[in-house]
Amino acid sequence: MVSVRNIYFRHKDKKDDVLKGISFNAERGSITTILGPNGSGKTTLFKCIAGLWKYYQGEIYFDGNPIDKLSFRKRARLFSMVPQEHEPPFPYSVFDVVLMGRASYVGVFSSPGKRDYEKVKEALTTVGIEHLQDIPYTKISGGERQLTLIARALAQDTPVMLLDEPTSHLDFRNQINVLKKIKEIAKNRSLVVVMTLHDPNLAGLFSDKVVVINSGTKIAEGKPDEIITEKLIKNVYDVEVRKSNINGQSMICPVL
Amino acid sequence: MKGFKAILIFLSPLCIGWFSLFVGAYGITPFMVIKILLNETLHIFEICDIPEKAIVIDIRLPRVILAGLVGAALSCAGATLQGIFRNPLVDPFILGISAGAAFGCAITIGFLSFLPLQLIAFVFATVSVMIAYGVARTQGEVSRLPLILSGVIVSAFFTAMVSIVKFLVDPHKLQSIVYWLMGSFSLADWKAVKVAAVGVLAGVMPIFLMRWRLNVMSMGEEEAKALGVNIRRERLLFIGFSTFAVAVATSLCGIIGWVGLMVPHLVRMLTGPDHKTLIPLSISAGAAFMIAADTVSRTLTTFDIPVGIITALTGAPFFIYLMKRGGKEAWGK
Repeated sequence: MVSVRNIYFRHKDKKDDVLKGISFNAERGSITTILGPNGSGKTTLFKCIAGLWKYYQGEIYFDGNPIDKLSFRKRARLFSMVPQEHEPPFPYSVFDVVLMGRASYVGVFSSPGKRDYEKVKEALTTVGIEHLQDIPYTKISGGERQLTLIARALAQDTPVMLLDEPTSHLDFRNQINVLKKIKEIAKNRSLVVVMTLHDPNLAGLFSDKVVVINSGTKIAEGKPDEIITEKLIKNVYDVEVRKSNINGQSMICPVL
Repeated sequence: MKGFKAILIFLSPLCIGWFSLFVGAYGITPFMVIKILLNETLHIFEICDIPEKAIVIDIRLPRVILAGLVGAALSCAGATLQGIFRNPLVDPFILGISAGAAFGCAITIGFLSFLPLQLIAFVFATVSVMIAYGVARTQGEVSRLPLILSGVIVSAFFTAMVSIVKFLVDPHKLQSIVYWLMGSFSLADWKAVKVAAVGVLAGVMPIFLMRWRLNVMSMGEEEAKALGVNIRRERLLFIGFSTFAVAVATSLCGIIGWVGLMVPHLVRMLTGPDHKTLIPLSISAGAAFMIAADTVSRTLTTFDIPVGIITALTGAPFFIYLMKRGGKEAWGK
């Protein structure tokens, strides 16, 4: 279990806190989604949890142990991060990109060994992209890149996986494919998955728990069905919506 | 196919080096070169002191080895810098490292001859790369164009400082500074080879061992952190080792540009961007390229053309080609 306790964050030379004391828990084998509008502090919170920005106040625990003071190497063995898909400066093969997930297990003055290569093969198979392994990462589609980055996080072999808006650059079909894959992996490997999303409906479809933040504070936390309400969406996004039920799944639809 | 290319690149310095030993103002047959080399190392053939022996062993061989070591250092440093700065358009020359090292050398030759030359070169080379990096860095990331611009600024500054040294220095010392600055291997001897071997090895060997991490670091600062790389410390190590290799190379043969830019690109085109193969192949291709350039520089005309001119003549069009091919993307945001 990952437990985030009272996170405050302020940028250098700025007066206002971007995060004003956020706390929540994320359980094993489930997906916890951080939902919020642009500028709500969602990305900042994500970067604090991922350990990219170290100067926050508050604590983050994994299974009861504080991880705030861990080195990058030790932290990378507990938390893996899937960044938004992007173009690297050099056209590495998909296999080489996934292999980078092993960096925290390879000594500074050495190169990956047999075990690392096996882990990469396994991760590629789990995600179902072994046919792409020799293709340059720059030549594949956005959805395939996102899957490659997920495979890399799997190769990192961590109990916690963090995903930064995994669907933001994807078309509709790939959004569903990627999120289904994430859900399947979270269940099968009983990982703690924490991700950020833009779309409340996607968050509702795929998460076990939603944490809604706005202006750096937590507005609501709980099962998506229960907390994503017409009132909450109006409050957070300032959009009129109607909530309805399709095939037993509650969805929201904006009133035009 | 890839493996075959890799073996060819790997063997190229030996072939070109051997070729370089028998061409030149004094013609020597390829067979005689082998005979002399075998005699010198294994004492199989008995050869009296013929002029060919002196030319091969005392003049051409140290020059070939020195050119090879310098080429290896420059292109290894180029590949490393391109990786850590995520910028395919940089090399030690463009970032001002060579100019910084040259200033360190000039000031040592001119005024402070009691100080160790290579060490002072290293100090100023480090200062210049740190300034270039510091100026270009905004919000944790270093964009491509600002880095090249700040390299140009640092280069211009240290080139001006070298001019001041030239202006102030004793005319006897001026001659040696000017000659050395042009970038040439014509003064190569076994002593220079020893210094180069120790210095280049000390810089290149750790990079060779750490080379896989360049893949991870080239993905960007945040991603490297999340993958478990202590990016500040490791970037410092890479910059330190490559700067050291370049400083030693510059102290021995002046400023030679463009090699560190061109060679890693050629290797990437042939065998791919993975630094695990890129670094060792850049080392051998750099050695081969430099030996070839030096052979051209001493055989093209009756006198030695500074080798820096040859590399610039090939490097500048190559840079333009890279810019045009990459288009807008090459410059990035």
